[in-house]
Amino acid sequence: MLSQLQPLVREVDGRYATDTELMFLQNYLQTARQRFSAYHKNQAAEVDIIRLVKQKLNATEPHLLRRGKVDLSAKWQRDTIRVLRYCAHALLVADEESLGERFLLWFQSIMRSFKAQHSCDLTYKVMQDVVRHYLTPEEAELFCPILVQARLLLGQ
Amino acid sequence: MDTPSVLSHRLRQQYPQKHNHYRFSEFFQFNGSEGTIADWNGSRNVFTSEDFIIGLLEGLEEEVGAASAAVMYSIGLEWGKQDSLFFHQWFEREFSVSPQQASLMFLLETWWWPFTAQGWGRWEIDMADRKQGFMFINLFDSAVARTLGDVGKPVCYLYAGLYAGFFTEMVRKQLSCIEIQCYSMGETYCKFLLGAKDRIDAAAFWLNEGATAADIENRLRSEEQR
Repeated sequence: MLSQLQPLVREVDGRYATDTELMFLQNYLQTARQRFSAYHKNQAAEVDIIRLVKQKLNATEPHLLRRGKVDLSAKWQRDTIRVLRYCAHALLVADEESLGERFLLWFQSIMRSFKAQHSCDLTYKVMQDVVRHYLTPEEAELFCPILVQARLLLGQ
Repeated sequence: MDTPSVLSHRLRQQYPQKHNHYRFSEFFQFNGSEGTIADWNGSRNVFTSEDFIIGLLEGLEEEVGAASAAVMYSIGLEWGKQDSLFFHQWFEREFSVSPQQASLMFLLETWWWPFTAQGWGRWEIDMADRKQGFMFINLFDSAVARTLGDVGKPVCYLYAGLYAGFFTEMVRKQLSCIEIQCYSMGETYCKFLLGAKDRIDAAAFWLNEGATAADIENRLRSEEQR
């Protein structure tokens, strides 16, 4: 949404915007309340979401967050919190499109450099199930596609 | 092109710990009153058109003929060496750790990101043969090859020099680089081989004899197995 505001300001110069040009704003306003609500729920439940995702990962693949004798849990946690926050922000401002350019493409190269694609793939798959416990179905409908995008880019 | 300078970047000063700063609007700072463009790391940048790249390459070829390839390689080599020193400074400043202490792949990805933001293309490094003393770099969307189009021969000498210069400084060992596959030969991406001079000379010979990138890869790997 925000990335569409600038072109609107630039292009609608000395005239009234057309309905088509205002469509994205209408769409945003229709979902704004849900976005704010989901954003705050994510914020309040962040610690629990991360803990539950970690629990589920440990149950599925106990050695996922280890490399030999090295425990990668703390690093995983820092990375996952960062992704969750960027995704929540994209949800709030409905800026899913620029999430890749702002963050995910860079983070993808970093995750690849640490060969963390498999752990990312599982993390953001599991996270979709976990966040559904905290969000209404409508809120999850808005948020989960963003996590799918994160999984798609970071998991390969 | 960029040359290290003392230009400051307001966003960087505001958010020194931000690492994902490669969006066009964040990475570059346009100083209208001075007519300059600075990037996140304080380098001076100049935006050029494809016409400029064509003019540069064709002009150089007109001046020095076939030696233009060697000239572009040498420019890249010096650029890479200087950039390695510059990178050392900004990496340490941004991550509060010296490049020697960082994970190698993380270090290399971090080095290349400003180039991606500047429009030099994305890359992928294949380090599988590093212990054997050579490695491959795949480059997607080379600014030079994309501009020249399909001309039936490799054209990314500037990049080959850049990689040779950067890695030579980084590992403190004389390395050479050759482009063994190029978008300008009708391929989908460019491929570079980096290694000791004798190995690169051998690859250049095979390439002249008509070998493909795959032939060269196979040959190098089978030699190692002997």
